[in-house]
Amino acid sequence: MKKFWAIFFWFWPLVALWLCAVAPANNWWFPSPPLSTLGHQIDGLFYLILIIVAVTFIGTQFALGYALWKGATKGSGDKAWFSHGSHKLEIIWTIVPAFILVFISLTQLDVLAEIRVISHFPKEARKAPAAEVMARQFEWRIRYARPGTELMNEPRPGDLYYVNEVHVPAVQPTMINLRTQDVQHAFFVPRLRVKQDAVPGLIIPVWFEIEQAGEYELLCAELCGWGHYKMKARIIAETPEQVQAYLSRLEQEQNEDGVADEQSSQ
Amino acid sequence: MFRASGLTSLSIAGLLLAAASGCSDFQSSFAPSKRTLALIPEAQTGQQGAPGVTPLVDEKFGDPQHLKAWMKLPVEWGGKASSVSAFEAGDQPLIRLTVDEESPLPEKAGRLVFTSGTLAGKSFEITSWDSSAGTAILASAPETAPEAGDSCTVDAGSLLQSGRVLYMRHCSHCHGTAGDGNGPTAQYLYPKPRDYRHGVFKFTSTIDSSRATRDDLLRVLKYGIPGTYMPSFLLMKDEELHALVEYVRFLAMRGEYERKLVNELASDYSSKAVESRLQSESRGDVVKELQEFLGEEMAGIAESAGDELAETWTVSEAEESRVAPSVPRVEDTPESRQRGRDLYLGKALNCANCHGIDGAGNGPQTIAFEKNPETDELYGEAGLHDVWGNLNQPRNLQTGIFRGGRRPIDVFNRIYAGIKGSSMPAFKNTPHEDIWHVVNYVLSLQFESEPGAAGTAPAEAVASAADGSQN
Repeated sequence: MKKFWAIFFWFWPLVALWLCAVAPANNWWFPSPPLSTLGHQIDGLFYLILIIVAVTFIGTQFALGYALWKGATKGSGDKAWFSHGSHKLEIIWTIVPAFILVFISLTQLDVLAEIRVISHFPKEARKAPAAEVMARQFEWRIRYARPGTELMNEPRPGDLYYVNEVHVPAVQPTMINLRTQDVQHAFFVPRLRVKQDAVPGLIIPVWFEIEQAGEYELLCAELCGWGHYKMKARIIAETPEQVQAYLSRLEQEQNEDGVADEQSSQ
Repeated sequence: MFRASGLTSLSIAGLLLAAASGCSDFQSSFAPSKRTLALIPEAQTGQQGAPGVTPLVDEKFGDPQHLKAWMKLPVEWGGKASSVSAFEAGDQPLIRLTVDEESPLPEKAGRLVFTSGTLAGKSFEITSWDSSAGTAILASAPETAPEAGDSCTVDAGSLLQSGRVLYMRHCSHCHGTAGDGNGPTAQYLYPKPRDYRHGVFKFTSTIDSSRATRDDLLRVLKYGIPGTYMPSFLLMKDEELHALVEYVRFLAMRGEYERKLVNELASDYSSKAVESRLQSESRGDVVKELQEFLGEEMAGIAESAGDELAETWTVSEAEESRVAPSVPRVEDTPESRQRGRDLYLGKALNCANCHGIDGAGNGPQTIAFEKNPETDELYGEAGLHDVWGNLNQPRNLQTGIFRGGRRPIDVFNRIYAGIKGSSMPAFKNTPHEDIWHVVNYVLSLQFESEPGAAGTAPAEAVASAADGSQN
């Protein structure tokens, strides 16, 4: 029975080892494979941490099992001995984790800069925001510049507006300006691994390069009020030509005067 | 009670729409309006067999668990029309329906309602349904055997019922179960959620005498109302939005019907009116008079109220009710905007009276006291009020937020047909070209560095705007 506990504590690290090995291939950690360039890097960091945590967990569990095993196999004549601590051990298990943490923080710096710091954004994305995404209780209001003009922070005549649907080009670095009209919200696109808080008073640039054309779910990830669950929108990634076509369609719709429409339908 | 004939008999038996039974037996109900509650109890519930307002409304519309379809009303109830081809009586009464391959029967069907023949208006539960063969086994045997050729509707009321389920999930917490704009979240919101029971919706594409069209409601559902708490439901499926629009129209008509009935009784049988009548009459006499009125006149009144409802809501969908500018939008030039501003300040439109000379929504009318048309007393606070009795702030046109939409046609609609239920009047006699000038001016206001200072406003116009305060 004494040996049971040692085997018990050795068993779990083996399960953990197996889980850590098969999980990434089966997409058990993430809702889907990353579909943006940044997503790969972010997932890479997750996996790095997964490896570190797995090794630590397995190591400590084996050490625990070993201690139990030794206790279980000791002869009955052996006496217990008392320890007042080991200075050496204390230093080792302080410095080793410290090194690991410093290592993690240094490794992720580049990715963090790429996500957050505008001067590290790809040049192509930095040029001009594709849209302004204005979060408000409880919807996403989108503003585009009129085709052929640049999006300004202040609305301009001819700007195009829509709600809960953002059209952006796929396979090219794209930047949007994130704002909020009222409280804090968060711009969260799980499949792109993009998550950024919208903070009142700030215009926060967010960039991503979507690798596949298609529809992506955009959610609010910051509890913003009673209607938080309603704050769902879609991002539609398509070719730049399709985005242009969409914008000119939107422009036409927005200049609707109720007369031209009738003539064209007749 | 069951003296109506023809089409209305359909409504009496009703299309019984069994609500999906949840895990608790919570029963919701359509709350009577405040005006109904202001009547004496006898007028609300009826007196000795003569039904009052509440039973009359319930008879036609049911309650949330058992919605009724008053076939007279222009609501899409859902279901599929078909006709009987054969009937086999027995323990399991079986009806064969005509199968038309071009328009197949629905795959699921919970109820079958006869719409002609001896069983017209009767509704039966279907226990077993085969859509390809068109056979239905009814839960109970009909009193008389339906004949071949009798028309019926299968899966009747399905659209309305799915609208109800969606409405309760997404809308009722603000707009209330009965569409009274008084759900649990309503008290935290400004502006208040719409109370549908006037049958009035603000942002429409129809002329001022018409109701909202289905498309108008759909637009609001899809795009929300910026500047208010009404969010966009763009991501809902088309059929879900369609069901919601129909259910909202159903609630609006229900509320309007209740209103119409109360209107007939309010002047003589409200608690207040009866109190003053008691000085010269006995309460017994008043109640007796009420009983006669309810017994003899009310059925006719209810019938014509229904007719009126059907008429207004049907006409509103028609092409001739749509606002149709006769000229396309005038090009948005500085001259056009200047002309728009002159009109804005001018005596005929006098927009500045409410919206202010710089469009900030602070015209002289916002500090005048208005009379409440329902109580004939001054409102407690200064400013304009809408038909719902809420303070009705004229829009600040400098913000760039256009609740009814920012397309030129939207702003044209607002000016030409007014904003229904609000103090924004319809300027339907203004030449369309002039309206376009005002549209251009209004749309440009948010971009003015000094709104109101653009160009030189004619002194006479400014003076007339100021005069408005004495109106």
